[in-house]
Amino acid sequence: MSTAIQIDDLSFAHTGADVPALERVSLNIPTGESVALLGPSGAGKTTLLALLDGRLFGWCGQISILGAPLDPDHPPMCARRPDTGFVFQEFALVERSAVLRNVLNGRLGRMSPLRALMGSPTKHDLEIARTALADCGIADLANRRVDSLSGGQRQRVAIARCLAQEPRLVLADEPVSNLDPARAGEILALLTGAAQARGATALFASHQPDLARRFAQRIIGIRCGRIAFDVPTSELNEDATAELYREVEPIPGIGLRAVS
Amino acid sequence: MMAFRGFGGFATSGLIAAAILWSFATADVELSRLMSAGPRIADFLGRMFPPDPTVMAEIKKGSAETLRIAILGSLGAVVLSVPFGILASETMVSSAVFRSIRTLLAFIRAIPLILVAMLMVGAVGLGPLPGIIAVAFHATGMLAKFYAEAIDGVSRAPIAALESAGAGPLVRLRYAIWPQMAPVVARDTIFRFELNLRESLILGIVGAGGIGFYIQTYVRSFQYDKAASVTIAVFVMVIAIEAINVALRRRFA
Repeated sequence: MSTAIQIDDLSFAHTGADVPALERVSLNIPTGESVALLGPSGAGKTTLLALLDGRLFGWCGQISILGAPLDPDHPPMCARRPDTGFVFQEFALVERSAVLRNVLNGRLGRMSPLRALMGSPTKHDLEIARTALADCGIADLANRRVDSLSGGQRQRVAIARCLAQEPRLVLADEPVSNLDPARAGEILALLTGAAQARGATALFASHQPDLARRFAQRIIGIRCGRIAFDVPTSELNEDATAELYREVEPIPGIGLRAVS
Repeated sequence: MMAFRGFGGFATSGLIAAAILWSFATADVELSRLMSAGPRIADFLGRMFPPDPTVMAEIKKGSAETLRIAILGSLGAVVLSVPFGILASETMVSSAVFRSIRTLLAFIRAIPLILVAMLMVGAVGLGPLPGIIAVAFHATGMLAKFYAEAIDGVSRAPIAALESAGAGPLVRLRYAIWPQMAPVVARDTIFRFELNLRESLILGIVGAGGIGFYIQTYVRSFQYDKAASVTIAVFVMVIAIEAINVALRRRFA
């Protein structure tokens, strides 16, 4: 089985931070797997996902995405980027544009730059966008402006945009943190189901263990920038999860500082 | 601290007083002339009345020319401000580029329109053309800065999303930035057009075309009643521009 994500000894610190956001992370995700990144806020989930999407630089270690190495200092070539789709936590939609336009934005990397700039998608592009809308259950919203939609509808648009990109790897950063539990289940089922139907690998971050358990085959626990555990969903036990969310003990010398 | 502030305040007051005294001492301001200025102005205003309505043709011609200068000057400013606005934005270019372009725009803004117009009259001759060039040049200093601020003021998340999807910088500008900045650009462009129209009313005084030319001609030839008519026309135009702009702004709010 081929590998979708291969990470060896990855460390990263945000500029100006004295504590690394990720420390000596190694993991291997085979193609087609649905994996949940579980961990408390600030554990490094968002950082890891953004880094795998080629939007953070200055890290150490080795990363290979879909068989091609990632450059620690430069963004990946535009031609490679559509293969990795990203679902943003705050949706990252263009609020004043229509739903269909936002979904077509996911096609921009698949078009020639001139065609993209001229705003003339091919029939094929439109067909894929319409299919993505239908798959996400929002075909009837195609011409609505995003700023008139609810949170759940927006998240569906964001997922449709990601699917229109035809990614082979889907990275999702807390895709359901803004939704109520019932909606959250629906959206995660949609996201992991759509990825699986397309044979794509899915890696999603979550801070809700029950949701991670329901929709992932494998769960990776992250705490303070390190991998705490990496197990198939069936082997996840309560103790490990509780340990993950245990309050961070103050490290001597790096206690809370008063902000003046 | 208090002592320092006391001294600073005293020094400032002294400086202002000295500047006023210096102005009185060196300018041609004698008490006798100052006393007679009131009646002279009254006499001048008296000779403006009644305004001569026979200059309607000139007023129409001058107003139309002023309007054309403002429209074409604004068009030129928009065309120049698009590339300069992009080059002056943090979002689109490196800091070396946007800093130098912003400095250039600040220099352009620092030159008064009337001065640019005088230089352009020297360069290309009398008529509306120097006025159009001057307005386009002068307005670009402000409009390009506004456009750059509009680009930098948009939400960053959709830009990152399009970058992640593989869209290049210009495509991101077109689909992530432009839809967000369009209302701001419309508002700023209308605002600048209003300023251009106001400012081009007086360009004729230096020979750069428009209605100002007639005011200057009639005053120089002592035809004060005709100058009065043209002045009233300018007054009416300024109020009309203001009213139209208020209505437009209400639409875009």
